[in-house]
Amino acid sequence: MNVNVRSRELEGSTRGIVRGGETLKEHRDRLMEATKRTKHYAGLEKMELRDSQPILYNKLFSRLRAGVVDARETAKKIAASPIVEQEGELCFTLYNAAGDSILTSTGIIIHVGTMGAAIKYMIENNWEQNPGVRDRDIFCNNDSLIGNVHPCDIHTIVPIFWEGELIGWVGGVTHVIDTGAVGPGSMATGQIQRFGDGYSITCRKVGENDTLFRDWLHESQRMVRTTRYWMLDERTRIAGCHMIRKLVEEVISEEGIESYWKFAYEAVEHGRLGLQNRIKAMTIPGKYRQVGFVDVPYAHEDVRVPSDFAKLDTIMHAPSEITIRGDGTWRLDFEGSSRWGWHTYNAHQVSFTSGIWVMMTQTLIPSEMINDGAAYGTEFRLPKGTWMNPDDRRVAFSYSWHFLVSAWTALWRGLSRSYFGRGYLEEVNAGNANTSNWLQGGGFNQYDEIHAVNSFECAANGTGATAVGDGLSHAAAIWNPEGDMGDMEIWELAEPLIYLGRQIKSNSGGAGKYRGGCGFESLRLVWNAKDWTMFFMGNGHISSDWGLMGGYPAASGYRFAAHKTGLKELIANGSPLPLGGDTDPENPVWDGLLKDAVIKRDKQAITTEEMFADYDLYLNYMRGGPGFGDPIDRAPQSVVDDLNGGYLLERFAARIYGVVAVKGDDGAFTLDAAATDARRKAIRKERISNSVPTEEWLTGEREKILAKDAATQVQQMFAASFKLGPRFEQEFRSFWKLPESWTLTEEEIGVPHYGSHYSMDVSELPDVKTVQFVEE
Amino acid sequence: MNIHAPNSRSVQVLGIDAGGTMTDTFFVDSEGDFVVGKAQSTPQNEALGLIASSEDGLGAWGLSLDAALKQLQTGVYSGTAMLNRVVQRKGLRCGLIVNRGMEDFHRMGRAIQAYLGYAYEDRIHLNTHRFDPPLVPRNLTRGVIERIDMSGTVVIPLREESAREAARELIAADVEGIVISLLHSYKNPDHERRVRDIVTEEVKKSGKSIPIFASADYYPVRKETHRTNTTILEGYAAEPSRQTLKKISDAFKEHGTKFDFRVMATHGGTISWKAKELARTIVSGPIGGVIGAKYLGEVLGYNNIACSDIGGTSFDVALITQGELTIKNDPDMARLVLSLPLVAMDSVGAGAGSFIRLDPYTRAIKLGPDSAGYRVGVCWAESGIETVTVSDCHMVLGYLNPDNFLGGAVKLDRQRSVDAIKKQVADPLGLSVEDAAAGVIELLDSDLRDYLRSMISGKGYSPASFVCFSYGGAGPVHSYGYTEGLGFEDVIVPAWAAGFSAFGCAAADFEYRYDKSLDINLAPDAPDNEREAAAKTLQSAWEELTHNVLEEFKLNGYEPEQVTLTPGYRMQYRGQLNDLEIESPLSSASTAEDWEQLQEAFNATYGRVYAASARSPELGYSVTGAIMRGAVPIPKPKIPKEALEGETPPEEAKIGTRKFYRKKKWVDAQLYRMEALRPGNRVTGPAIIESDATTFVVPDGFETFLDGHRLFHLKEV
Repeated sequence: MNVNVRSRELEGSTRGIVRGGETLKEHRDRLMEATKRTKHYAGLEKMELRDSQPILYNKLFSRLRAGVVDARETAKKIAASPIVEQEGELCFTLYNAAGDSILTSTGIIIHVGTMGAAIKYMIENNWEQNPGVRDRDIFCNNDSLIGNVHPCDIHTIVPIFWEGELIGWVGGVTHVIDTGAVGPGSMATGQIQRFGDGYSITCRKVGENDTLFRDWLHESQRMVRTTRYWMLDERTRIAGCHMIRKLVEEVISEEGIESYWKFAYEAVEHGRLGLQNRIKAMTIPGKYRQVGFVDVPYAHEDVRVPSDFAKLDTIMHAPSEITIRGDGTWRLDFEGSSRWGWHTYNAHQVSFTSGIWVMMTQTLIPSEMINDGAAYGTEFRLPKGTWMNPDDRRVAFSYSWHFLVSAWTALWRGLSRSYFGRGYLEEVNAGNANTSNWLQGGGFNQYDEIHAVNSFECAANGTGATAVGDGLSHAAAIWNPEGDMGDMEIWELAEPLIYLGRQIKSNSGGAGKYRGGCGFESLRLVWNAKDWTMFFMGNGHISSDWGLMGGYPAASGYRFAAHKTGLKELIANGSPLPLGGDTDPENPVWDGLLKDAVIKRDKQAITTEEMFADYDLYLNYMRGGPGFGDPIDRAPQSVVDDLNGGYLLERFAARIYGVVAVKGDDGAFTLDAAATDARRKAIRKERISNSVPTEEWLTGEREKILAKDAATQVQQMFAASFKLGPRFEQEFRSFWKLPESWTLTEEEIGVPHYGSHYSMDVSELPDVKTVQFVEE
Repeated sequence: MNIHAPNSRSVQVLGIDAGGTMTDTFFVDSEGDFVVGKAQSTPQNEALGLIASSEDGLGAWGLSLDAALKQLQTGVYSGTAMLNRVVQRKGLRCGLIVNRGMEDFHRMGRAIQAYLGYAYEDRIHLNTHRFDPPLVPRNLTRGVIERIDMSGTVVIPLREESAREAARELIAADVEGIVISLLHSYKNPDHERRVRDIVTEEVKKSGKSIPIFASADYYPVRKETHRTNTTILEGYAAEPSRQTLKKISDAFKEHGTKFDFRVMATHGGTISWKAKELARTIVSGPIGGVIGAKYLGEVLGYNNIACSDIGGTSFDVALITQGELTIKNDPDMARLVLSLPLVAMDSVGAGAGSFIRLDPYTRAIKLGPDSAGYRVGVCWAESGIETVTVSDCHMVLGYLNPDNFLGGAVKLDRQRSVDAIKKQVADPLGLSVEDAAAGVIELLDSDLRDYLRSMISGKGYSPASFVCFSYGGAGPVHSYGYTEGLGFEDVIVPAWAAGFSAFGCAAADFEYRYDKSLDINLAPDAPDNEREAAAKTLQSAWEELTHNVLEEFKLNGYEPEQVTLTPGYRMQYRGQLNDLEIESPLSSASTAEDWEQLQEAFNATYGRVYAASARSPELGYSVTGAIMRGAVPIPKPKIPKEALEGETPPEEAKIGTRKFYRKKKWVDAQLYRMEALRPGNRVTGPAIIESDATTFVVPDGFETFLDGHRLFHLKEV
């Protein structure tokens, strides 16, 4: 059994470009039909090449993977953007003719799925006929309506031909610093529809004969603020794609097209089986339920939006249910999720599912065989109209990550319960940090050029605790496990902002028997900027991760900015200066040093463009990860070490951990073991005396629900979830034993809810065939 | 290879490779003959092991230590002691002074340090990441108030009292060294040097003796994590090594030597143990082989060389192009990002001892990354190893002689390998034991071959213009496999392959290299006067570095006239973050035309390394660094030159036959003793040429020719 070439059957008919003469569409249809019929990718119930020539199979894999990884390492040196060069925000992936990925480099591997979706969109909409797909063509895509995460991730896609026939594709993606959105920065806020998201390109043919078209170059360079980064990023992507195309050609000329062709399909089935086997080995069958929330605080005056109906505070909601079956197959259902909204935190179904898969590669399947097989091995249900599967072509995506990271961290928590049950304690992860703050802005920089900035320091957040140890501090981000905060001297080249501090953020990691890793904070002084703006982007009111088995969530965000600081004079006079970190935000030190400054210090962690002048201050605070286990089970000496190491503020040692530490003359803390013992006993007693029987508590809560005694935002969130998720409503109803007469609708709450009744999907446009990847 | 001769020989050069378990010495006489000595390493006092190893080597020549050492002209040391000190965090207790507010940055490290050196699977597997402890703990770190921006402008003037306070506290904490690293000090070192002077005053006042290391004086290059790590290594790890080297030097002087020992450095030259920047000797052993290949290339006329070295745990590749080593400027070592110029050497974690496993979930064949190391594999019953290794495959296929491994010191059992491979690899894959073992070797060879190929094409070349040198204990076993089909101009296996690194050390130049960060930016349409000014800025940096280089040589008693200077620069298109190192086509620069030539040299290299389409001259150019290398002539080993004899190997070289499996069939391979083959001999495969420390496999379809320099040339027939 194999993905045979149909040359004989197709003789005489109109030949397509795929090897053997099928059109791209015929080829993909045949594969999908066989996949559906047999439950094996492309109908590969047996893997001929792998089983008969395992050595050759492994050799092909190893050669291609090494080449793809190498292309990323080499090509990224062409880039000028520190996001690409220093943070590694790029990825290259090799696809078979049907647009399913065979293997990938490291980096932002979520795009294994999104670039594949772009290829499939070209296939389904007959790009083959118009604009045509030929050897040495170059395509560009960043359209979030067909699968991209957000517009700043730009894809370059190059078809691979062998002896005049298409045998596959290679895709390269970089995260660019600016896409010409309403505001500067790659993930601007403020716009509420995609028309404000910036430049949007739908699988456009931008070059042929390996050369970019001049009209494309001229148009694209003026569509963005940071032209140099844009150009060199594009050269990076093209160079990498061409390196991989050459590699494939070399491999085929040595090992034969027949072997390569078989490999290109068997590898996907191999990846699918790999996932299934891992699920069997590491989890326990059953249902896992969890939930995630994040805040959209748009009522505040510092969030400037163009439209009345978007000017309100809302909460995004993502309940999820993982069903693991005995045979290692699984299903993820997001019934009950919020509707898409008038903000930039919506996501396409492909980015949502691909991202989950990225997370799985960090924990469940960190294997060599990372490809679309895992996607074929996972069933998703994302109700149409939710924020992760919108049904309106106006929705904005520019910072879809805001809720993606929080919705996914719940899944990691769910899986971790399973790992724990199987004894894989080291694999347990209490969840992820909300990967923020995003320092963004723009204006004229220190080189007197139009500029946008987008600090990627938050590629190094704290990580969640495991069941055997603390999370890592300042280490990783859910979207790129190879995290890094970069060197300050490099960020100062890219941004007209001087560092006055870089410090581990005390208390940012969630408490626990094993605490979450802490984030860090950078204090930046505006320097040599003109007509400058910046804004904040992150969670503020809601902790978007949870902690596990008694562990606490990480601290949520806040903002600190200072204008009219008088720092020029303070520096000249030799007065005390704000340096280092905002160590204890409840007892701030800097505010007292900056006498007449205008200070913004609050939980409003999302803002839009705010004017900044030289000597103004901006605090960039990177979040921590959640904790695992009850804090009063933490080894007391570890708590004392945290105090001495600056990971924990003094007053929380006793309050949360029940640890009494004594500060010596040298400022170092030592443990008072006896007092700690007593304090912990007291905490246990307090807990018992404060507790009520569950039944009693449920009764009280039920009363509140019947009386609709909840904040407007909470009511709106549930009303929207009920509308899109009838099963979710039913379960809510039966759990709380609510009468039929009890209903909750958005209409009765009295807040605007544009979009709740009227929407129009991109698929309703003429001549557009969208590709559906999930159950809706 | 020990060549016996009468005792009229004059011993000239000593190369030392002091590894963790064995100390090798390599003596060369005035005729180019050489002898290898081996002894167990003595980490407590390295000199002891060295003397023992020397006695072992010289004994083979029938020479006494004192007699030989008196004749010695020069000696070069390489070893792993400094690296081990860093890895085990057993360095000195250092204090660190940084900017106030940034006291955490060193302990935070860069997050990449949490997964440096990891394999693909672990790089993406978050729960495997971990940070090593910082070299300097947070409680020995102090901040001073000052800030200088990226262009060298003072933002916050230095508040001297903060420096004094920092110094006093660290001195009171009894640190054994004080390292100073302030942001952008590579651009404007004024504040950092003032802090250094203040610390010096305070140390003096305290009456203690504490060495002080300012980053601007040592590694004035951008990226504070790299620069700070490297400067800390000077205080933390290099100073103890300096003491060790002094001991060694003294011990040898007691036996009659009259020279100062030199140490192999990361930039590929040797420097004195008295050198200021001693941290750059942190890895020296593996570089030796590359230097040896470069030297052989110079003598024999090879311009482009691919150096490949396989040991028990890794495959190391380095390239010499146009006679020049490739230098990496911000390498990582011991899971630290550094700012040392390092001979670019890429490693694959696959060697003869690498474990072979099938992924339990995907059945993919996995080589390494861990290895049995000196414990060989399942074939050695006493090893306690249960997982099969590459060496077990060698056993099954007849590559290795079970009775002559390490000269017979270790007895191996082929049947153990057969049984283990059957169970662990062959049966699960549905293959015969031979085919499974041959498949693994084929897979390994293919990985290594691709690696070589991608390195060469990554430099913009094709293998046809390269000679491949294959050495290391297991190199010659695989030479045919990883070179087959690549089309190298020649494949060379030195008869002294196992001692090649020590040979290379002995052959290294006495060379200092200094680097300095620059920020010269020119628009594409910059007028001539700006080009001229740019050329002059570069020239003045070269002059500053020349001064440093000459100072180092002065320490060793060399006059400026004796030093050959080679300038270089680092260039990129304006706005990029990665530059390329270019050897200057000019010995000095001062005019707009000179600048043009520097640009052209860069454009040519860029198009080769990346792609012609990636060239971006429309952005303009930046010079980001100046480089100055200076070398003085020193005695080097002579390459042996013997007259060619007949093509037919002498009968006494033949030591029987062994069953050998390749390409799905068993054949009888002729066995030879390497030492008994004569210059001019030609050996046609299937043949296996054995020596105590290495095995050279010549399968069917290949033949090898031994030339007058005792180099085997391997070719496909």
